[in-house]
Amino acid sequence: MTARRLDAGGRIDRSHSLKFNWDGRLLRGFQGDTLASALMANGENLIGRSFKYHRPRGIMSAGVEESGALVTVGAGAKRDANVKATTCELFDGLAASGQNAWPNVRHDLGAVSNLFSRFLAAGFYYKTFMGLPPFEWGQGTGWWMKYEKIIRRAAGMGTASREPDPDAYEHAHAFCDVLVVGAGPAGISAALTAVWAGLDVVLVEQDFEPGGDYLNQAGPDADATRAKLLAEIVDADVRVMTRTTAFGLYDHGVAGLLERLPDQQIQNNKYLPRQRFWTLRAKQIIVAAGALERHIAFGNNDTPGVMTAAAARTYLNRFGVLPGKQIILSTNNDSAYGPALDLATAGASVHLLDARPDLPVDLVNTVAASGVRVTSGTAALKAVGGKQITRLETAAWTGTGWQSAGSENCDLVLVSGGWSPVVNLASHLSTKPVWDQDNCCFLPGETAAHIHMAGSAAGIWQTRDCETSGRVAGAAAAKALGKTAPDISKPEVGGWSHAISPLYEVTVPGKKLKSFVDPQHDVTADDVRLAHQEGFVSVEHLKRYTTLGMATDQGKMGNVIGMALMGEALGKDISDVGTTTFRPPYTPVSLGALTGRNKGDHFRPLRRTPMDKWNLDNGATMTEAGLWRRPWYFARSGETIKEAYIRETTTTRHDVGLCDVTSLGKIAVQGPDATEFLNRIYTNPFAKLPVGKARYGIMLRDDGIVMDDGTTWRLSETDYFMTTTTAHAAKVMVWLEELLQMRWPDLKVHVTSVSEQWAGCAVVGPKSRAVLEACVEDAALVSNDNLPFMGVVETRLKNGIPCRIARISFSGEMASEVYVPSDYAPAMMDMLWQAAKPLGGCLYGMEALGALRIEKGHVTGTELDGRVTIDDAGLGKMASPNKHFIGSVLRQRPAMMAQNRPRLVGIFPKDRDQTFNAGTILCRADEVSGHGEGWITGVTYSPAFGHWIGIGFITGGYQAWEGQTVVVADPVRRENVDVEIVSPHMYDPEGGRHHG
Amino acid sequence: MDSLRIMRTSALEGHTASGHFGAEGDGVVFEEVRDLNLHQIAVWPETLGSVGQTMAETYGVPAVPGPGKSVTGSSASILRIEPLKFWVVGAAASELAPEEGAILDLSHSRTCLRITGPEAATLLNRFLPLDLGAEAFAVGTVASTAFHHVGITLWHSDDGYEVFLPRGFAMSLWELLREGAAQFGYRILAPVEDQ
Repeated sequence: MTARRLDAGGRIDRSHSLKFNWDGRLLRGFQGDTLASALMANGENLIGRSFKYHRPRGIMSAGVEESGALVTVGAGAKRDANVKATTCELFDGLAASGQNAWPNVRHDLGAVSNLFSRFLAAGFYYKTFMGLPPFEWGQGTGWWMKYEKIIRRAAGMGTASREPDPDAYEHAHAFCDVLVVGAGPAGISAALTAVWAGLDVVLVEQDFEPGGDYLNQAGPDADATRAKLLAEIVDADVRVMTRTTAFGLYDHGVAGLLERLPDQQIQNNKYLPRQRFWTLRAKQIIVAAGALERHIAFGNNDTPGVMTAAAARTYLNRFGVLPGKQIILSTNNDSAYGPALDLATAGASVHLLDARPDLPVDLVNTVAASGVRVTSGTAALKAVGGKQITRLETAAWTGTGWQSAGSENCDLVLVSGGWSPVVNLASHLSTKPVWDQDNCCFLPGETAAHIHMAGSAAGIWQTRDCETSGRVAGAAAAKALGKTAPDISKPEVGGWSHAISPLYEVTVPGKKLKSFVDPQHDVTADDVRLAHQEGFVSVEHLKRYTTLGMATDQGKMGNVIGMALMGEALGKDISDVGTTTFRPPYTPVSLGALTGRNKGDHFRPLRRTPMDKWNLDNGATMTEAGLWRRPWYFARSGETIKEAYIRETTTTRHDVGLCDVTSLGKIAVQGPDATEFLNRIYTNPFAKLPVGKARYGIMLRDDGIVMDDGTTWRLSETDYFMTTTTAHAAKVMVWLEELLQMRWPDLKVHVTSVSEQWAGCAVVGPKSRAVLEACVEDAALVSNDNLPFMGVVETRLKNGIPCRIARISFSGEMASEVYVPSDYAPAMMDMLWQAAKPLGGCLYGMEALGALRIEKGHVTGTELDGRVTIDDAGLGKMASPNKHFIGSVLRQRPAMMAQNRPRLVGIFPKDRDQTFNAGTILCRADEVSGHGEGWITGVTYSPAFGHWIGIGFITGGYQAWEGQTVVVADPVRRENVDVEIVSPHMYDPEGGRHHG
Repeated sequence: MDSLRIMRTSALEGHTASGHFGAEGDGVVFEEVRDLNLHQIAVWPETLGSVGQTMAETYGVPAVPGPGKSVTGSSASILRIEPLKFWVVGAAASELAPEEGAILDLSHSRTCLRITGPEAATLLNRFLPLDLGAEAFAVGTVASTAFHHVGITLWHSDDGYEVFLPRGFAMSLWELLREGAAQFGYRILAPVEDQ
C-alpha cells in the first residue's frame, strides 16, 4: 500500500495540523482525521500484530469492525489498550503505539509462532498440554496450570495499565420520546420526521462527526445534503450526541449509551469526566445503525494492504487519502463499483474482479469511462507479500469451482463480500436475526412494537431508500405516540440491480491457504472445518471451540463467513446453521465508565452517625459495620487495639463506658392497632406491655427461622419505638411494610423508619446511673424506682435537649440507652462524657462492645444468620404457646424442633493460654474432617475470665458436650485447638448485674 | 427554643463553606436548609378527607396535594410523600387523635439541600433516574427516588430543587454532588434556616 494524502478533497481541515506520536515517532495529521487515516496518510502500513500468530496487520476497515489496526493509546496510568485506530479521533498530542509485539510491530520476535502456525490450530494447546501424556494420564491438569501462564503470555492483545486511572467517569440519566441510533441518511431522516411531529428526539452517533455514509460519499452533493440536514436537525432542537455509542438495548425502552468526551474539551475544563455512561429511557427507539461490509476468506487475506472496498472509499472521500496506486478489487456484488469509480477518478489504477460470471453491464459502463478494468468470474485467491502486499494471485470460476488464474502486481487489495446489517441492538432484545438469501445477510427479524429498524441496518442499500426508510420509522414512532405523521410507503429490502453471488471463501484444490475468517482472533477457514470434523457443529459450539466472534469486534467481520463455511461442511443452508446471539455491549465499554463516580470512598455510600466527628475528635479508630462507620476502639497513646478494648471492657464492667449505638435500626410503630401488630410479629406477648416500659422481642420469618431481635418501647397507648439490629434494620422495615400493605391492610398502623432521626448512646456500667443523674433535668426520673430495668422515660437533658432513655442492657451491666434528635448528638456526647470522665469512665467501640456481649452470650446479626431457630439461639422460652405469631406454626416442624440441631454455646480453650478464630469449624476430637459439628461466630479476649472465649453453635448444645473435648479446626490459618463447650451465658449467668 | 437551635449540628457542619468552586460559571448553586422543621402526618384511608381538610385550614392552602405533589401555604409546605403520608415542612404539626392519624417529628432525620442554577436538573440526572423535564417534574412535584442506592426525597419547590437526604448518608452524597457539579462551576451559599 502506497497511500498518499491528496492536496484537496475530503472532510478534514487542512488548515488545522495536529501533531501525534506513533511508536515513538512524531507524525502529523489534520483536524478531522482518525488515527487510522493519519497513519495511512503518513505511509504507515504495519499497525498491529495478530492475536495468536503475531502476523503483521494493517488497516482493514474504517470503523468499529476493525481487526487489524488495534493499538494502545496513551501511556502510564492513562494507557488505553486495544483501541481501534479506525475509530480513534486524532487530537494534538495523541500518543499511540503498536501492541502484542516485541520489540515493536515492525520487528516482532513473537512472529516465530507464525512459522508453527500449522500446529497451532483451534484447540491445540488444550489438546496437547492438558493432562499431558503420558505423565499426567488420569492425574488431572496440574502441569497445564503451569504452562497456561506462559502460553497465554504469547497470545494476546494490549495490556491494561496497572496504575489507578486518574480520569473521572460519571453516570447520567436521560429521557426522551424517541431515541435514534445512528446519524446517517436513515437516522437523520428518522429524527427529523419524529421531531417535526412534535416529539422530543435524541440522536446518537458513535462517530465524532454526524452524517454516516454522507461523509463517505464523493462530491459536493453529499456535502450539501449533509449540511442542509444537519442545519434542520439543529433548527428542530433534536438533541444530538456525537461520540456516543448506543452499546445496548434493554427492556422498557432503556438504552445504554457510552459518551466519550473529546480530549480538547477536557483540556479546557479539567472537571469534565473522560466518559459518561448514560442510561437513556425512550418511549420509541429507531435503530439506524448501518451495515458493515464483509470480507472474503482467501489466502493471506490479512496481509497489510488488504481492506474493505468501503473503507478505501471512506479514506478517499472523507479523509482525502488515496490508499493505493495499483488497486485490485475483488467483489461479488454491485456495491464495489462505487468505490472503484471514486478511486479511479482520484487517479488510481483499478482492476475490479467480479466473481459473478455475468457482469452488470450498466455498472461496468459507468466505471469503464474512468479507466476501471473489470474482469468477470474472477476472485482473489492469495495475497503475496509479507509486511505489505505486492501481488495478488487470482482464481477463475470454471462453472463448478475455482482454479488458479495467474497473478497481478498491486499495492492494495480491496474486498467487498457483501454487507451485514447491524442487527446487534435488536438482537439484545431477543429478536432473532433472519437469513435473507437474496441479499446474503441476516436481517433484523420481527422487532418489538417500540423498536423500528431503518436504513441499511434493515438491509436497505441505496441512500435514497435509506432516507425514505428513516422517514417511515420516524412516522411509525410518531404515530405510536399519538402524533400525526405522513404516510410513506416502506422501501423494499435490498436495492441492487444485480443479484449478489454468495461467496465466502475462495480455494482451489490442492492449494494450502491460510484464509482468515475472524482475523482479530486468528480464526481461519481450516479452524472452522476442524471444528466440524471434531463434532462442534452447533454455532454456539463452533464459537467456543474456535473463538470465532469472541474478540473485541464480537464477530462483526467474521461471523457470517464462519456460519457459511460451517453450513457448507454440514451441507446445510446458513439459515439452518443459525447465528449466535449478539449481546451487549456493541463495542467495548470501559470499566471506568461502568464504575462512574462509585469508587474509592464512594464505592458504597458511607453512613456516618451524628457523633461521627465527635468520636473522631475523641480519639476513635473507626471501622465499617455494613454501610455504617462506627468507633472500633479508642486507643490511648501507645495502646494496641487489644490493649484498648481490654481496657474499655474492664472499665465498663467496673465503672462506666459510653458507646455510640446510633446504628441500631429504629422504627416508629404508630396507630390504634400498633399493639395488636406487635403482638403478631413478636414471638413473646406484647399485648400487656405498659406505657413507659420496653420489652426485648424476637421476630421470626414465616418459616420459623429467626429474623431479628431488639427492644420495643411503649411511648403511649398507640405509639411504640422499635429497635432492630444494625444489620437487619432495612430488612425489618421492608418486612413490616409488606405485612401491613399485603396481609393486614385492615390494621390501623403506620411504620416509619426513624433510624436517622435519633442518635443513641449506651451508658453502661455500675456508675451509669450517676452519669444519667448528672445529665438529666430531673435526677429523680432516673432513680431505680422510676427507671427500673426495662423502664423508659421521656425527658430533657439539663441543657434542654429532649431525650428518651431506656434501661436496657446488651453488656449485662446496669445500662441505659439515651436517644436524642440527631442534630443534638454532639451536645449530648459532650454532656455525657463530662459526667462519665470524672467517674473514671471511658469511651468504647465495637471491639469492646463485642467482648461484653460475647461474655454474656447475647446474639447479634452474626448469630441470627438466617439458619437459626429461636430454640437454636437458646431463646425458646420466648416463644409464647398461648398466641399465634408469624412463624408460630412452621417453627414447630419436627426438623426445626430436633434436639440435635446446632445450638448456641460458649467456647473456652482447653489450654487457657490458647486462642482461636471466628469462622472456624467445631469437630469431634476423633473426627476432624468434613463440616464438623458446629461453628464459631465470635471470639474475644475476656477480661472477666482472663482468657480467650468464643460464641458459636454446636449440635445439641452445651449439655450434649459436657466433659468432652472438641477440636477447633482451622487448617488454613493455624493449627487445631482443643476447646470445651460451655453455656453461652458465660458471664453473670444469673443476670444480677444489670439490675444494679 | 433558640437556645436549643444553637445546639443543633448539621450533618454537613464544616463542609458547606460558601464560595465558588470548580469550573468557571455558576452552573449550579447549593444552599443547605438548616434546622429543618419537618413533621410527618400519616392518616387512615377513611380519615384522609377530614384530616386533609383540617390540614388545609391549618396551613392556609386550598386543599392538601395529591400523591407526588405539594402545595405551599402561608405557614408551611405540604408534601404528599405516600398515599397516606404527608410531610409538613416549615411548621410544627398539630395534635391528632390516634383514630385520625399519627404525627411524627422527622426534623432531624433528613439533611435538606436546595439546588438551583441552570444546570441543577442536569446535575441531579447524573445521579437520579427521574425525568426532570418541565412537564414531567413541574414545580410542586415530589418523588421518592434513589441516589447512589440511597432512598431520598426530591421536591421541586418554588425555590428550586430540594433534596432530602437521610442524615447519615448526607455527607457522602454531598461529596458526590460536589464532584459532579465541578464541571458546571458551582457556588455554595450560606445556609438558610428553615422556619
